[in-house]
Amino acid sequence: MRSLALQAQPLIDWAWISANLSDEIWPAVVGHIFLCSLSIGIALVISLPVGVLVARYRKAYAPVVFFTGFLFSIPSLAFFAILVAVPAIGIGFRAVIIALVAYSLLVLIRNVVTGIDSVPPETIDAARGMGLTPSQILFRVELPLALPVIVAGIRIAVVTVIGIATIGAYIDGGGIGELIFNGISRGFFTQVIVGAVLATALAVIADLLLLAMERYLRPWARAGRA
Amino acid sequence: MIEFREVSKTYEGSDSPVVNDLSFEIPEGEICVLVGPSGCGKTTSMRMVNRLIEPTNGEILIDGEPNTAMSGTELRRKIGYAIQQIGLFPHRTIAENVGTVPGLLDWQKKRVTDRTDSLLELVGLDPGQYRDRYPVELSGGQQQRVGVARAMAADPPIMLMDEPFGAVDPITRDRLQDEFLNIQKDIRKTIVFVTHDIDEAIKMGDKIAILEEGGVLAQYDTPENILAHPNSDFVSSFVGADRVLKRLSLLKVGDMDLDPPNGYGDSLPSLYEQMSLKDALSEMIGAGEDRGVVYAGAATTSGEKRGSLTIDSIRKLSHRAEVENLTGNDA
Repeated sequence: MRSLALQAQPLIDWAWISANLSDEIWPAVVGHIFLCSLSIGIALVISLPVGVLVARYRKAYAPVVFFTGFLFSIPSLAFFAILVAVPAIGIGFRAVIIALVAYSLLVLIRNVVTGIDSVPPETIDAARGMGLTPSQILFRVELPLALPVIVAGIRIAVVTVIGIATIGAYIDGGGIGELIFNGISRGFFTQVIVGAVLATALAVIADLLLLAMERYLRPWARAGRA
Repeated sequence: MIEFREVSKTYEGSDSPVVNDLSFEIPEGEICVLVGPSGCGKTTSMRMVNRLIEPTNGEILIDGEPNTAMSGTELRRKIGYAIQQIGLFPHRTIAENVGTVPGLLDWQKKRVTDRTDSLLELVGLDPGQYRDRYPVELSGGQQQRVGVARAMAADPPIMLMDEPFGAVDPITRDRLQDEFLNIQKDIRKTIVFVTHDIDEAIKMGDKIAILEEGGVLAQYDTPENILAHPNSDFVSSFVGADRVLKRLSLLKVGDMDLDPPNGYGDSLPSLYEQMSLKDALSEMIGAGEDRGVVYAGAATTSGEKRGSLTIDSIRKLSHRAEVENLTGNDA
């Protein structure tokens, strides 16, 4: 019976899309954006101070990269499964957020460190020699100069997280993944395609926006090319 | 005035000091050049003045006060700092770079802008054209000008300059040196100037401190005296075999006792009071004459005839210094 239904339906049912735009599709997109921005936000709050510290105390860099690299390498479904099994976390939103934060740490911390490393040593020396305090050097010289590299890290993290969040719907995390999983279980193509297209579009748009931001944050480099 | 008192520096994990028992005074308003081969501790010595490096022993006094009397950052805001690699902030405009220290000292915005513009003018950059540019848009020579302007921004009485003209071609360097000496005539800063280039030291220094490897002060004196009376084999080899000619480049034709101008015709080479003796010697040798006619001023024969000068008088002057040297007479 089911295979017959699959054959009979049109590839895209436009009527379903317009009927469910405001009560199903749009909330899924908003939910997805919320999931991803919240986890990137939390990941940044962790990564910025950790990155700055690790850039100073170099001995900690290898262990930190090793640990976050380990987190990054866990297959997403396995990660969700482990988190769901923890009683305090369980199925749902919280498990997804934790996993997304964990996946972002490696690339964010690494880019904070790379960004700070990219600041020319003579610039730091001149800053010290003119009497800037260590925290003024950090906030007025190192971080502004590192910012484009940090934003480049955010770009990669955001695209990664948008993709993995889709799978989060499997454990009731919400978001665009819900459309896809529902569509698959109902054997309804339109819903699956809408979900896939939206997830892809979201990733591409976020990537382009952050790329624009990366450029915007480096007016001095633009000036150099002109 | 800056006074080094028995200053030594040994880096952790090293047995031999990089600066060894350094004692000398830099009078107010003078340029003191620290010069020597690499590893002589000249940069370390300079960086101990504003405490970017702390000495292991001894102390440095600024106007009679130990430089440890205030915090390192407070001290550094009162001392200009310019380095070879310049270290301009790439993300800040030229005006923002120059205004760094005034900003740290909480000057009012208007005052910072006025100061920045007048400094850019002083170092030969049109403020209207360069104020809002980024360092990457400037040539190396222009960036070094900005670096020097930035060091002067808060009008510090003392400036530290570590090969501030080192990153540009020789012609630009020569011009920057001349311009800076011209500026220094008016501002009379007390300057610690580091270089490895003895010619730059001779040109820029009111006093030169020659350091040997291991951070030992080999000789501290005016350029003229060092060239005329090097006190060791190290110093005489460091200043070079042409030190007699180098010394002539410091002396002016106008400093010599001239013969009367009468009777010497226009066929003789033209010399000028402002010309160095080295250039005068070159003119006379080039013209195949042993005498030249000296005119007032720097470069035109429209000036008054002041007298004439012979190669022989230059030779005698140089020889006298050498004899004093051999007999150990430090006249």
